[in-house]
Amino acid sequence: MNWPLVAFFFLAGVTLYSAYRVVVDETITHAALYLAIAFVGVAGFYALLGADFLAFVQVLVYAGAVMTVLLFTIMLSDIREVRGLKLPLFRRLTSPRWGAVPAALAAGLAALLLAAFAGSALLAGPEGRPVGLGELARALLTTYLVPFEVASVLLLAAMVGAIVLSKGEGER
Amino acid sequence: MPEAGVPVGYFFAVSTLLFSLGVFGALRRTNPVAILMSIELMLNAVNINFVAFSRHLGAADPVRGPMFAIFVITVAAAEVSLGLAIVLALLRRRRSADVNEFDALKG
Amino acid sequence: MPQHAWIIPALPLASYALTVFVGRRLGERAAYIGIAALGLATVLAFWTLAAVGGGASAAMSVPWLRLGDWEIRMGFQVGRLEAAVLAMVTLVSWMIFIFSKGYMHGDARFNRFYAHLSLFVTGMLTLVMADNFLLFFVAWEIMGLCSYLLIGHWFEEVENARAAFKAFLVTRLGDVGLLLGIWTLAAATGSLRFADILEKVEAGELSGSLVTVAALLLFMGAVGKSAQVPLHIWLPDAMAGPTPVSALIHAATMVAAGVFLVGRTYPLFEAAPAALATVAYIGAVTALVAALIATVQTDIKKTLAYSTMSQLGYMMLAMGVGGFAAGLFHLEAHAFFKALLFLAAGSVIHAVHTQDMHRMGGLIGPLRLTGLTFLAGALALAGIPPFAGFFSKDAVLVAVHASPYRALFWVALFTAFLTAYYMTRAAALTFFGRPREREVIEHAHESPPVMTAPLLVLVVPTALFGFLGPWFQAFVGGHEAHGAEAAPVQALAIGAAVAGILVAWAIYGFRALDRRTAIRLLKPLYVLFKEKFFFDHLGLAVARLGMLLSLAVGAFDRLVVDGLVNGVAWLVLLIGRGARALTAGSAQAYALVMLAGVVIGLFIYQVLGRVG
Repeated sequence: MNWPLVAFFFLAGVTLYSAYRVVVDETITHAALYLAIAFVGVAGFYALLGADFLAFVQVLVYAGAVMTVLLFTIMLSDIREVRGLKLPLFRRLTSPRWGAVPAALAAGLAALLLAAFAGSALLAGPEGRPVGLGELARALLTTYLVPFEVASVLLLAAMVGAIVLSKGEGER
Repeated sequence: MPEAGVPVGYFFAVSTLLFSLGVFGALRRTNPVAILMSIELMLNAVNINFVAFSRHLGAADPVRGPMFAIFVITVAAAEVSLGLAIVLALLRRRRSADVNEFDALKG
Repeated sequence: MPQHAWIIPALPLASYALTVFVGRRLGERAAYIGIAALGLATVLAFWTLAAVGGGASAAMSVPWLRLGDWEIRMGFQVGRLEAAVLAMVTLVSWMIFIFSKGYMHGDARFNRFYAHLSLFVTGMLTLVMADNFLLFFVAWEIMGLCSYLLIGHWFEEVENARAAFKAFLVTRLGDVGLLLGIWTLAAATGSLRFADILEKVEAGELSGSLVTVAALLLFMGAVGKSAQVPLHIWLPDAMAGPTPVSALIHAATMVAAGVFLVGRTYPLFEAAPAALATVAYIGAVTALVAALIATVQTDIKKTLAYSTMSQLGYMMLAMGVGGFAAGLFHLEAHAFFKALLFLAAGSVIHAVHTQDMHRMGGLIGPLRLTGLTFLAGALALAGIPPFAGFFSKDAVLVAVHASPYRALFWVALFTAFLTAYYMTRAAALTFFGRPREREVIEHAHESPPVMTAPLLVLVVPTALFGFLGPWFQAFVGGHEAHGAEAAPVQALAIGAAVAGILVAWAIYGFRALDRRTAIRLLKPLYVLFKEKFFFDHLGLAVARLGMLLSLAVGAFDRLVVDGLVNGVAWLVLLIGRGARALTAGSAQAYALVMLAGVVIGLFIYQVLGRVG
């Protein structure tokens, strides 16, 4: 019994279904929750692929921090989807923006990419190997030192920016 | 570590579908938060690609895939927080949360 | 002397210029400029004739234009043919210039008349002396222009302007053929000069079909200019112009230019038997049809016009059966007595102020001189010896008889009968019998000497030119040989003429046969002739067709061409409107478009093969 394969299909089903609900659900909070599930599913993929550390980071950052921020924003803003998928079927299908065009384009994109992959010689290649945490850490501080530092600066900038933006006017 | 008995193509398929869903959502949704969520989906799909291909084909430098994914996650986190800050700032100005109403770029 | 022959056309040209610039101050005395110029030209022409007769000849040519490695030369040539025609043209023109001084007296545009007349004569003389097609064509067109101007001299009457226009357009049609023929020959031989072209033709260097096509095209021009069927419809209408114009242009000179063209390029026609046959047939048909129509005309000038047409047909017929010299002989003789007839008619018109013969009658009394000269011309035209017409027409008949065209001979003979008939009729109606209208006869008086003198002068060649026949034909031709069959033909010719005279006299003279009965009996024929064989209707139909075509083309242009242009503009607008939507200000829209681009790119890459 190919357990990894079983696991894969399970994860795939969960993740994809959740992603579908994310883009389709009218109620934003529902969409957010489904997003969280999708994140966890992706973490599962990472694990399946042997990137344990990454799976861990995924859960921590995405399913944790990002989701928190998202939910906070949702709660704070009390946004409701004004228009959206509740359009009558006719408009959904024919209106270029609301309807079939984005769906068709997305589907077309998927089809083309899959076809490209299928027709390519990529399938046969040298096998890689899972990477351990120590290896990652070492690489981060040597080969990828510069991006690492830049990333920290980026985070700092983002933080500052977020604070500035959320402060609003008159509250310097 | 469980061995990857799963062909890399399967991972690619999943990530493609995930990406497409994200694209659809980004184009379709009117709620800015929802759009951001769709973008996150896209980023995650890309990450899956990186890790899967690195795991299966990156014998020369197996670190690269996961490394890239880490950076993507970092940047995505920063982007999401900033994006939401902007959303909140915009919402303070206008009551409505319809992306279509922000058409100052029109013309 | 012949080297200086270029002075001959230069004189009327100078006359034209002088009349235009100085004429205003001179009033009617400006006519003397033209008369003097023409007189001098006539003297020079006869002098040249004498010189050429003595064996001299001249040709002169200068390079005129260079196009790449093709050089066009301008020049003139004076040989026997040219000298003979020059003499005739100058003499007749001179007489007409003199006559016009009396006839056009009191006209509002007297000087302009003389100016145009001078320009016209310049054209004709240049045409005769040209040594290349280019100069020839230019002169041809100048004559066409002057014809237009002169026919429409009294343009206050709309009919006159229309007639002028009709003349111009119809001859233009022929000119198209002429131009095409010229181009064909130029392209085939690389030269525009007659000498070069004819040399090549006689050497047999051009293909038979080319020669035939070229000859037929050139003949088209002749058909138009010489009013042959079917491009003849303009000539009767051209009678709207002053009578001196009719005499000069439409009897003696311009219409003869077509015959002259055939004569000048005769070797070409000889090399193309099909074309030559065409010439003969068209000539014969024209001669017959015109003569038939002439029998029912009431206007004296129209009768003479149709007569001209008929005689031109004779000339073409002669040319067509190989009687080059006979044709030219008739050309010259006809010029003399037709000019005489027209001028005499002009004198009559001047006296009675009408052109309708049915209103005239008995004019031989008051208009004795005019009448007698007219009779001389009429007898010549009818072909009664010893007048010139008999000899020239006889020459034509002999030539036809000697040719394989049996049927055409009888046609020509019958036409001779008709000619005599209608001329007698005209003479009888005009000069004899009881006067029909009182006012007409009472006011009639003989014309002043300035008008009658030319008539008398022209009687001389009318009477005597015929005797120059053999000399003339030898001088000019050598292209035909006619044998001893002359006598029976002569007898037939005289017989036909006399018969014609008798029949006409019977109807119009003693009234032995009643005119009205005759008309009733021959009613359908009468109508046919009266309606000029419905050619005018044909012409109108063709013109209408042309108009329809132009309307269709115009509609096409408006709907399709403009529509296409407007449609493009509309399409652009549409695209623009659509494109505007792309800058809707919605980021999602932009993203949509971007995605679309990516998908399309992927599609092309994937499905249609790798790029690069």
